[in-house]
Amino acid sequence: MEISTLEREVWKNRTRRYFFRRAAMGLGIPALASLLNPKAQARQAGLPGLPHFAPKAKRAIYLFQSGGPSQIELFEHKPALKKYEGVELPESVRMGQRLTGMSATQSSLPIVPSRFPISQRGASGAWVSDLLPYTAKVADELCFIKSVYTEAINHDPAVTFFQTGSQIAGRPSIGAWLAYGLGADTEDLPAFVVMISPGQGGGGQPLYDRLWGSGFLPTKYQGVKFRSVGDPVLYLSNPDGFTGEDRRVYLDALAELNQRRLAEVGDPEIATRIAQYEMAFRMQTSVPELTDLSKEPPSTFELYGPDARKPGTFAANCLLARRLAERGVRFIQLFDRDWDHHGNLPQGLPKKCRDTDRAAAALITDLKQRGMLEETLVIWGGEFGRTVYCQGRLTKDDYGRDHHPRCFTMWMAGGGVKPGLSYGETDDYSYNIVSNPVHVHDLQATILHCLGIDHTRLTYRYMGRYFRLTDVHGQVVKDILT
Amino acid sequence: MVRPVSWLWLCLAGGVAQVTPLQSAVEFNRDIRPLLSDRCFACHGPDGANRKAGLRLDQELEAKAKLRNKYPIVPGDPSQSEVYLRITSKNPALRMPPAYLGHAALSQNEIALIRQWIEEGAHWQKHWSFIPVVRPAVPPLEGWGNNPVDAFVAARLRQEGLRPSPEAPKPALLRRVTLDLTGLPPTPEETKAFLEDRLAGAYERVVDRLLASPRYAERMAIRWLEAARYADTNGYQSDGIRQMWRWRDWVIDAFHRNKPFDEFTVEQIAGDLLPNQTREQRIATGFHRNHRTNAEGGIVEEEFRTEYVADRVETTATVWLGLTLGCARCHDHKYDPLTQRDFYSLFAFFNNVPERGLVYNFGNEEPFIPAPLPEQEQRLAELTARLHQAERQWRALKPVVERQQRRWEKQSQPLADWQPGEDLVLHFPLEEATATGLVAGPGKLGKAVYFDGKAAIEAGFEVAKFDFKDPFTFSAWIKPEAPNGAILSRAEDFWEGEGYTWFLHEGKLRLHSTRRFTDISLRIETLEPLKLGEWQHVAISYDGYRKGAGVRMYVNGQSRELKILFDELTYPFGPKQPFRLGAGAGEKYRYRGWMDEVRIYRRALSAEEVAALSVPEPLGELLRLPKRVRSQLQEQKLRLAFLDLAAPQAVRQALRAVQAARREWRSFYDSIPTVMVMKESATPRETFILQRGAYDAPGERVSPAVPAVLGGWKQEWPKNRLGLARWLVDRSNPLTARVLVNRFWQMLFGTGLVKTSEDFGAQGEWPIHRDLLDWLAAEFMDSGWNVKAILRTIVLSATYRQDSKVTPELLQRDPENRLLARGPRLRLPAEMVRDQALAVSGLLVEQLGGPSVKPYQPPGLWQELSGGKYEEDQGPGLYRRSLYTFWRRTIAPPSMINFDSPTREVCTVRETRTNTPLQALNLMNEVTFVEAARKLAERMLKQGAQDPLAYGFELALGRQASPEELAVLKRLLERFRQRYQQDTKSAEKYLAVGASQRDPSLAPAELAAHASVASVLLNLDEFVTKE
Repeated sequence: MEISTLEREVWKNRTRRYFFRRAAMGLGIPALASLLNPKAQARQAGLPGLPHFAPKAKRAIYLFQSGGPSQIELFEHKPALKKYEGVELPESVRMGQRLTGMSATQSSLPIVPSRFPISQRGASGAWVSDLLPYTAKVADELCFIKSVYTEAINHDPAVTFFQTGSQIAGRPSIGAWLAYGLGADTEDLPAFVVMISPGQGGGGQPLYDRLWGSGFLPTKYQGVKFRSVGDPVLYLSNPDGFTGEDRRVYLDALAELNQRRLAEVGDPEIATRIAQYEMAFRMQTSVPELTDLSKEPPSTFELYGPDARKPGTFAANCLLARRLAERGVRFIQLFDRDWDHHGNLPQGLPKKCRDTDRAAAALITDLKQRGMLEETLVIWGGEFGRTVYCQGRLTKDDYGRDHHPRCFTMWMAGGGVKPGLSYGETDDYSYNIVSNPVHVHDLQATILHCLGIDHTRLTYRYMGRYFRLTDVHGQVVKDILT
Repeated sequence: MVRPVSWLWLCLAGGVAQVTPLQSAVEFNRDIRPLLSDRCFACHGPDGANRKAGLRLDQELEAKAKLRNKYPIVPGDPSQSEVYLRITSKNPALRMPPAYLGHAALSQNEIALIRQWIEEGAHWQKHWSFIPVVRPAVPPLEGWGNNPVDAFVAARLRQEGLRPSPEAPKPALLRRVTLDLTGLPPTPEETKAFLEDRLAGAYERVVDRLLASPRYAERMAIRWLEAARYADTNGYQSDGIRQMWRWRDWVIDAFHRNKPFDEFTVEQIAGDLLPNQTREQRIATGFHRNHRTNAEGGIVEEEFRTEYVADRVETTATVWLGLTLGCARCHDHKYDPLTQRDFYSLFAFFNNVPERGLVYNFGNEEPFIPAPLPEQEQRLAELTARLHQAERQWRALKPVVERQQRRWEKQSQPLADWQPGEDLVLHFPLEEATATGLVAGPGKLGKAVYFDGKAAIEAGFEVAKFDFKDPFTFSAWIKPEAPNGAILSRAEDFWEGEGYTWFLHEGKLRLHSTRRFTDISLRIETLEPLKLGEWQHVAISYDGYRKGAGVRMYVNGQSRELKILFDELTYPFGPKQPFRLGAGAGEKYRYRGWMDEVRIYRRALSAEEVAALSVPEPLGELLRLPKRVRSQLQEQKLRLAFLDLAAPQAVRQALRAVQAARREWRSFYDSIPTVMVMKESATPRETFILQRGAYDAPGERVSPAVPAVLGGWKQEWPKNRLGLARWLVDRSNPLTARVLVNRFWQMLFGTGLVKTSEDFGAQGEWPIHRDLLDWLAAEFMDSGWNVKAILRTIVLSATYRQDSKVTPELLQRDPENRLLARGPRLRLPAEMVRDQALAVSGLLVEQLGGPSVKPYQPPGLWQELSGGKYEEDQGPGLYRRSLYTFWRRTIAPPSMINFDSPTREVCTVRETRTNTPLQALNLMNEVTFVEAARKLAERMLKQGAQDPLAYGFELALGRQASPEELAVLKRLLERFRQRYQQDTKSAEKYLAVGASQRDPSLAPAELAAHASVASVLLNLDEFVTKE
């Protein structure tokens, strides 16, 4: 299905000639100028006036850890918990916090400290667990926000909240907002790409299309899912027995007929459709080229780890994220599933760390080596944290933790964010925030800010209201910005 | 003084650009309210709690009243009007609207408009859509036009200096109206017939034929399903399956019968409250059970139950009233005079359903009703009759049975003992000690085993694998020595363990069936404790319907009163632990005492059977007992034993007939589709204003009422959903008819007369043809809410029939065709794109209604996000109209979403269209379209033998190809012919796509070449467009 560049050029010139001829014949063809460059027409445009100010980041990669990783094991140094092991969580700490139906009726809420060593890393002295040895090595590149909080206590509303700014379905996702506001930076790929890794457990909490959906925005702003099985993009491949060369000939005939119709009826939508078919054709080449990792040098796999060779792993997706970033994709959203450790945490959590730690750190290193980190914002985190008290049975080698909305840790790196910073603080129990709380909407406002957007001014009028990602809330967390 | 008034308001309303000025007088509703609403109301509008400076501009009285020594608006005098001074202030700190409201700056023209309005006296008007519909006078028809629709359109076009377009070419018109009214294209025969029908009324006849077709109902239904957020799954998290297609079929049927829209409304909102309601009317109420529901473990029930009720309010407001009432959920509406109290007063109508926040994930949640199809109903009646008949015959045999049994009792020799044996899956006679800690000794039947409070018997992983929906019966003899001890289990060995455990707890018999102890579990126990140190027969049966009500426990053959402690067995637990006797529920619950004769059945035994089990005396002994000293239990055992062992053939047959009829009835009854419906609780739930919309912050109590600003409530209506429904479709309701005819207009022209079809409030668009909208609304209501009639009126209009060609001048003047100087040219909705390809290729399988189907979908789409596997249908399910495609809300069918279909998560009424590369890929490569191209090619070659290309073109586009178009196709065909002749392997591969057989009589290369051309036809812009 390789189409030579030459062949494409030939076609383009022919198209151009066709239109010049039509124009010379005095046929009014609307949107003629953009038709002369179908590439430019297919490229998704952003809003006029955006970005609102010079952005620090040109793009963002969001490594969503779905299920809710435990801040207590991974990032929190809480030595006091050792002495409270097995002790009932005091009401003075819980302060009436509502619990999920899973632990609300549990007869006892015994405190369980982390059973994994944690120490300070790098020059910045950020606390990172031994479970994340690779992340530990790049700690000085990261900005840890230890005081993120949310209102949601169940997965569906909580993930939806992070991705769309509302717990209830129907709003556009962050990526859709960015595609709408900023448009695409490439003619060959979508502005917003999504990739999913199930984790070795092969499951965990489900995900939903709405997390990268366009909500009430036009559907063209929704994330395009890059898949690890079958076509990387749905319906990308030509049918069996139909080659790329066949497609080129086919598209030429199709375009010619569409152009005739355009001249006949004058509807500019036809011109747009012609351009979209050309973009589809380019995607048929650019996407396989993008997902083909065979030309990556061995050093890449040394960096990302051997998992990066297995399609559909978090590691492979991190590597693809870098390749997408290189090609100008605006927003790259990864979802890694199975971080929901209600029970069996001592076995489950290390497994998830092994799945993800090396590749996430590699992505930072890789972007930095390529000089791209400064202009790429990387975000890591889940939809909530986990409780300091044990859910289910507390035994000598087993415990679990329920969902905890009141505090958890995320990290950001690159474009516009201070490296080597730990921001915000929680109490001795990692239960309440004691300084610098960062709400989900604050985080969203900050992400938009890094990309040059004033979150209060990126709006869309729907049902009479000017909607925005951050609803009517959100403060940019200036303290963490460069 | 000429001012750019008209130009301005059109731009503001997001409508037509660059239309020449018309009126010079300012009209408040059209020109001023949209400005004030958009720029001022957020801080100076209806929302009292957030009002700034105490200034309110949405009410005339307050806007003109003195406020802190100033007048906001002084009619006739801008220079004294504080509003005007502030919007023109040079001081940025004083200028309104404040700069921090990014979108809100006022342009010079807008300021001039406000000035003019004040100068002209600052006249106020009630918001247009809240004024009852008055049938407007129809302007005279001058030359052009067929009916009043045209009269209104033409009058406007004259004002604008525009002329209508000529009528569309007949083939285009036929294709347009056929797609619009049936969702499918005309056949070449229909096109031919229409072209040849030169008599007057040819077009009208076509329209009447289309409206009478069941296809019309299917086409109408899909938009209604989107508004009703209809789907086949629950929509949250793991997104379990539900069954609502009987409601969907009700909708299709209603459109087919042309049920008047007022009845259509009343039945869906309140069919359950109608006197003598039919089953169909109850099914109709499924409308308000279509919302998403959450089955995620651990949710706070009330949080989500509140969400469901709020969804009903918001959906009702959008679908019927065109109001964005959801904005008043947390505070008073920012733009419209709708208070938070209004929201919760409507909420109160929908708040009385006996429903739960946490729903069942594997089927319908209460309340639901069986909704048999007519043929199922008939079958059920037959089965019921057969069961009654069998029971009658059985009862009639009673004297025979008694006679025969007496004879048997006299004649029979001492026999081996008898116990119920049917469906017995496991039997532990417990005759010997098989492990340390166990001792064998004299038992109730033969020997028994003593458990020492530490030991247990393990019986492996393959036995008694009862999951949450598997019925069972356990029976045992026990002589317990301690009040706590497990009889048997297949569960993790602790109190909260996953699995099932049947045990003694403080002497009481108790069952735990647990997935997760805190929230997914069934726990039930006897009220009274057992006796310690005494042999007792114990048994438990469970019917497999997940509820505590389906559990029975027996002691010594007597049913015991039970206490349901927790009744939430909603998920499978798939027992992962081995079967154990004497253990379960933790170390403290090791059984201490004697145990004998443990029997496990894979069904719920009857009370009589359990009674028989509880009789320790062997049959021979019972037979020797004189009848008068036998206990009732002993009699029951004898009866069952007789029936099983010695009853004459006729008796046995009669008994088997009853059992078989009962089983058949049950299994058929369980297969009948159900549908979730609305229902009123016996005790009404109280409704409160929820502060900030939060479920856990109830404020003042409210009772059911409609929004005060709309009014129109009649005393004779009951204060429930039925009253609400009557109010919605009352002639005096200013909104419903307008909102509906606007959506019909949107369906035909792509954009409503009010573009914001979901919002008729202050932020909505001023109608571009207000009189036309009102005329249609009046006509709709006065015709008895006749949907077909109003659609007929519109499609018969000359306006609708115009050619859709556009000149560059007109395109520039009116890019969105709001003034209607041409016909609509729009990409087809998602379902039509697919249905049309199926139709022209001949693949379409037309069948009205039925369970949802699963057409092609790329493998793995479900697994990568969630559980469950998408099992593609085989055969007809692949080719049904897209209306019937199984809709999983969290992973919606991609070829629908690619073409802008709503996700069905929330109510959607606005139609949108985008144009993307993913659509191109979909049309070129998705199996349906590749297969359709092949089948279309077969049709071309076989039916259009003389000129396959011309025939295919006509099939696809409903018109004849021009010579130039044919030349392009011919060239392409030639190229592919050569290619596939040289490479027939590729041809065969290409032709192998799709499940349908390829016609073996056609040469592969020739067919593949034609299929390539056919695919081009299915990818033409014109093909996916209504022209």
